Amino acid sequence: MTRPGFVLEVDDRTPPLLVQEGLGFRLEDFPQGTRVVYPPESLPAIDDVEGAIRDALLHPVDSEPLPELLFPGMRLTIAIDDLSLPLPTMKAPDIRGRILEQVLTMAAEKGVDDVEIVAALALHRRMTAAELKHVVGERVFRSFYPQGKLYNHDAEDRDNLLHVGLTDKGEDVEINKRAATSDLLIYVNVNLVAMDGGHKSVGIGLASYKSIRHHHNAKTMVHSRSFMDHKHSEMHSSAWRMGRLIGENVKVFQIETTLNNDVFPKPYDFLMKREWEWSIKDQASALAMRRGLALAPQKLRHKMFHDLRGNYGLTGIQAGAVEPVHELTVQKVHQQQRVKIEGQSDIAIFGVPYLGPYNVASSMNPILAACMGLGYYFNSYLRQPVVREGGVAILYHPLDEGFNTLHHPSYVDFYEEVLAESTDPHVIGPKFEQQFAHDPWYIHLYRTSHAYHGVHPFYMWYWTAHALDHLGDVIWVGGDRGAAARMGHRAASTLQDALEMASATVGSSPSITYLHNPPHLLADVR
Amino acid sequence: MGWVKGTVADVRQMKDGWRWGRRPQVPRSAEPFVPAPSPNVYPNEWSRTPAAMLAREVVQKVGLEPVFRSQVRVRAEGLDVLDRIDGPVIFAANHASHLDTPLILLSLPDAWRRRTAVAAAADYFFDTWWRAVGSSLIFNTMPIDRRGGTLAATPGEVLADGWSLVIYPEGTRSKDGWMRGFRMGAAYLAVEHGVPIVPVAHRGTFAAMPKGASWPRRGRPQLTVRFGDPIRPADGESVRAFAPRVHDAVARLLDEEQTDWYSSLRRSADDATPDPAGPDVAQWRRVWESTQPPEADPGRVRAWR
Repeated sequence: MTRPGFVLEVDDRTPPLLVQEGLGFRLEDFPQGTRVVYPPESLPAIDDVEGAIRDALLHPVDSEPLPELLFPGMRLTIAIDDLSLPLPTMKAPDIRGRILEQVLTMAAEKGVDDVEIVAALALHRRMTAAELKHVVGERVFRSFYPQGKLYNHDAEDRDNLLHVGLTDKGEDVEINKRAATSDLLIYVNVNLVAMDGGHKSVGIGLASYKSIRHHHNAKTMVHSRSFMDHKHSEMHSSAWRMGRLIGENVKVFQIETTLNNDVFPKPYDFLMKREWEWSIKDQASALAMRRGLALAPQKLRHKMFHDLRGNYGLTGIQAGAVEPVHELTVQKVHQQQRVKIEGQSDIAIFGVPYLGPYNVASSMNPILAACMGLGYYFNSYLRQPVVREGGVAILYHPLDEGFNTLHHPSYVDFYEEVLAESTDPHVIGPKFEQQFAHDPWYIHLYRTSHAYHGVHPFYMWYWTAHALDHLGDVIWVGGDRGAAARMGHRAASTLQDALEMASATVGSSPSITYLHNPPHLLADVR
Repeated sequence: MGWVKGTVADVRQMKDGWRWGRRPQVPRSAEPFVPAPSPNVYPNEWSRTPAAMLAREVVQKVGLEPVFRSQVRVRAEGLDVLDRIDGPVIFAANHASHLDTPLILLSLPDAWRRRTAVAAAADYFFDTWWRAVGSSLIFNTMPIDRRGGTLAATPGEVLADGWSLVIYPEGTRSKDGWMRGFRMGAAYLAVEHGVPIVPVAHRGTFAAMPKGASWPRRGRPQLTVRFGDPIRPADGESVRAFAPRVHDAVARLLDEEQTDWYSSLRRSADDATPDPAGPDVAQWRRVWESTQPPEADPGRVRAWR
């Protein structure tokens, strides 16, 4: 029986609690009375994954069974979520590969020859061949990659983009031409958190900058409350309008999957356990890991963490029409991640881990760390933020990983030039975004190397817009002072110092809530 | 911070945080979410064999008793009741501390002590082999089923073999030193197997070593233990009728501890024995009152006051 998530109130019996901080973690003694939100334990995984996939494809929601949509001579495009999902990367075989194999088996039986598989990475970096192979599996890779039929979406390839039209709000809808002109577009998703999936898959994953700019901007982001609640997210509303327009032009068969919270493999599973239930072995592992990490050079620590592969079990798979499928998916995600919390607090604490969607096999630079803490974790709520308006966010991360110039070249300039001038998303967007978005060198690196698009750091900063608008102060515990200051935040050595600094904003006896994340959780704040 | 200093700090933090050497505690707000304990119970029939009895005699006399008496002062009363009966009996006592068991066992005459087992929660004392071996060897514990689990020997069989049993009918240690309601187990065994119950009341153990502590507090705190007249179920008396009598007997002994034998009898006859569950007042006042140390010897006139 899986135990539900709950809110712990720190008392004299509470052991130190684990807080993630980049390529490491610390054990923190929180003040008594601190609320700590624990996600539900990992739900049982589906045993018969192949059977579940087959069942979903043959009995889809509001759609004909997949074999009935396939016919000889058709143009079939299959889009897949890119390497930003799930986090950490799933242990092989990846669920997308298992789904692809069944979809392709059905397509082969129906005599479909014209099949292309595209990684829907929007403005993310191109996946390497090895990464594509890991996601789709060896058979699919060998059948499609050498022929150029398995490839990364290119949002700057003007020849392979199609302007589908304008939404009723005047938003451009421009997506991958091959996908838009197919007889059937199948999307294979991994719905790790509530913000993923739905019309966001095709509407954003296969779109170009021209289309994405309509919802990836400070104004929309501030009104996305939150990203994890698609019915109250302005960004999702925009993606939904676009998705509906796409649906009028091309038949989309959406396949969505949900995963359990079995994030860390052994011997790192103690990272997911409730601390007072740590066995002697767990304590020894934690101690050994902390001391080992303290000795290890950064490169080794990076390798150790980034080589971790999630055990993730499948909790659900739905296929069919986008919107009803997504409703079922969100229910499943909520079942695994939602925790009810009574009321907001003055201070919210987040431990920013080593990994986010945009630094797989890469560095968590300060902008990505801010995006992770103030974008993802701050927005991991339903109804209202965990912290009250004018409250303080305390984040844990050393902010010392620097920038990966292969993956994040435009981030360096954004950090050095843009943030030096202003940290206000509403100011930097109009002033600098176009310049970065159309910079030919960044576009070249995005198209031919493995760089995130030039405009990507702006989006990361926009992710934080809602938090920056809502919060009175942001303090990084253990963070590099220079990096924190560059982002307009402050740094403290310890939690005690951070609380002391926060007292100017929220008083000397604030209410505190710590989101014990990862594994993933969604705070339903009443 | 240097690596060595960091290691020392980490080890210290974990040692304190996870109470190394003691049972881990669960934060209060997490108690509703604690999973059910493992039903695995280690067998301990071996602990009632002659070899184990001999080993226990050495452990108790050479190890336990000197340590116990060096840490606490003990006054035992009413042991004469044991001269008037033969075993086996059930000792039914209030339960406030892990000191209760050595207090009762070491107060018993040797012949009784050697043939007395202590009913202990299977889920607490028999969940690991080393706890099972340790508690069996030192205290002659036998597992009883508190929450569910498979037991090798039942208390009935142990009684039938001529062993007396110490049972704490409250089922667990008191959180504030006052007595909780009694469960039916002791009364059931007495009725079922026709053995008398010797009520036992003790004071001072909560103040000396309450739940959560792992060693008696300093200053050799005073403990008292009082054995009462055995009570037997009447012919045809049901467990449900007998159980309150066991409870009342322990309550009267506690009253006797505070006053004197005759006054407690009078009060009992008038149905005016003070409620052993304690007064309905603020928690701190309950703890305050229950931690008042008992007098070492109420009858003795002190030269210096």
